[in-house]
Amino acid sequence: MSGILAIAKRDLKAYFASPTAPAIFWFFLLFMGFFFNNFVSLFMKMANQAPMMGGQAPTVEQLLKALFYNQNFIFLLIIPAVTMASFSEERRNQSLRLLLTAPCTSLEIVLGKFISATSLMLIVLVASAVYPLYTVFYGNPDKMMILTSYLGLTLLVMSQIAFGLWISSLTSNQFLAFVFTMFGLFLLLILNWMAPNIGGGGLGESVLKYIANTEHLEPFFKGTLSVSHTTYFLIFTGLFLFFTNVTLDSQRWR
Amino acid sequence: MIEVSALSKNYGELRALDKVSFSVEKGQIFGFLGANGAGKSTTMDIICGCIGADNGSAKIAGYDITEQPLEAKRRLGYLPDVAPLHDDMIVEEFIEYAGQLRKIPTNALKSRVDSTIEKLALGDVRKRLIGNLSKGYRQRVGLAQALVHDPEVLILDEPTEGLDPTQIIEIRKLIRSLAGQHTILLSSHILSEVQNTCDKIIIINRGKIVTQGTYEQLSGSMESGHIYKLKVARNGSNALTTLGRIGVSNVKSGSTPEDIEFAVSHSAGDNVLDDVAKAMVDGGFGLRSLTRKTRSLEDIFLQLTK
Repeated sequence: MSGILAIAKRDLKAYFASPTAPAIFWFFLLFMGFFFNNFVSLFMKMANQAPMMGGQAPTVEQLLKALFYNQNFIFLLIIPAVTMASFSEERRNQSLRLLLTAPCTSLEIVLGKFISATSLMLIVLVASAVYPLYTVFYGNPDKMMILTSYLGLTLLVMSQIAFGLWISSLTSNQFLAFVFTMFGLFLLLILNWMAPNIGGGGLGESVLKYIANTEHLEPFFKGTLSVSHTTYFLIFTGLFLFFTNVTLDSQRWR
Repeated sequence: MIEVSALSKNYGELRALDKVSFSVEKGQIFGFLGANGAGKSTTMDIICGCIGADNGSAKIAGYDITEQPLEAKRRLGYLPDVAPLHDDMIVEEFIEYAGQLRKIPTNALKSRVDSTIEKLALGDVRKRLIGNLSKGYRQRVGLAQALVHDPEVLILDEPTEGLDPTQIIEIRKLIRSLAGQHTILLSSHILSEVQNTCDKIIIINRGKIVTQGTYEQLSGSMESGHIYKLKVARNGSNALTTLGRIGVSNVKSGSTPEDIEFAVSHSAGDNVLDDVAKAMVDGGFGLRSLTRKTRSLEDIFLQLTK
């Protein structure tokens, strides 16, 4: 247990000692601001036009939902940057031996790395709350919906980090880790749209749709909490942490 | 303290280790000698649990590294050929982190870190970034990492590699001072280093153990007897023929006729030397010196790994 905390603390510090954390904050908040600005001006335009055109005015919840969906896109670029170094870099500069010869199980090592990356992303998520808070100050959104959306985003980030850690544990090349993590996360995102073409209806399609994470995010963004969708993210996270553990352990018999 | 039995390891087609067995007793410094690529680092990585062996087992203080890895690793400090350091950490912070990983209780951690820093003379750099340290200091921080939890067994892979002569002497002194409290397995391809610091020596070549024993045993086992050097003042060639009659073998002259080498077999007895000296004095050759020629580890190594 103390091993997990020691590793998590060191790695979290290392993110801030290197340009990784500052670059991620800069990139994330800049893009979020860009999207938010765009959505808000679109929202204003539609709200002004609605009475004249006789249509329905857009709701603040719709604005926020669009924002949260875009967050998933930005994660596609920053989660790989967060996880790529975790094992690859340690393997390249040989410091992984420090962990492998310490009296820690490989599960402790994996969990330590997972906690540090998740903590960093939680700080990023807290920073991103500035945009929904803006709507709370100047509008009247459903606050419950904001909370469940953040819970959904947290679960999403955890599953993406677990996937990234697994990729990083497979290679000593950071760049490869970045590219493959991004590719994998992108696939998870678009699987929902590709499912009808690949699955050809029936069971195949529903399985592919189940694997895609967008399906499971939707209810959270609607302001509902569901056990089955929470379970999806937890199982996904657990499964890839398990894979990472196996990869790390397998070096001892390879 | 360290028991290795019949370790084998293949890297694809390449046989890196072939049934390597040895054991190190408590408090000894054990030298692991071999050319580059002989299998030293592979053996050490297996003993420390970084990689697995195809066959065989390694035990640290009675605990098998694959069966009870946590117990074994608790008693182990390892300095690999590349010191496992985090360049983005401060020396003090890093040693503390290594201590936490090794499960030193929190209340003892601070004093362990301080005493390790003192032992390795890292006081001047304790607040500096590891990435900015010189090679010698990096190596010492690497040693600190291996020593912070006061392990029973210390495994050092080429600890003096790439250091300047003064640093080499310092590190060697340090390693010698650690013997007794720690059992040390040290690898090197520098023969004089092993000869100077180690109690026992193993020579490994292409994954196989060629020989093991103390330096005296190794040099003794190499030949059936001892080689002596004799120096006389005059008439070297006559002295040569005189020696031929006494019962020594392989008589030959060295760089000048007055420098003579000869071999005495173990069976010849101790009195042969008296006879040699007497013959030289009686013959009026002017005996100047009579010494036993010791074989350097280089000779032994080259002969064994041919």
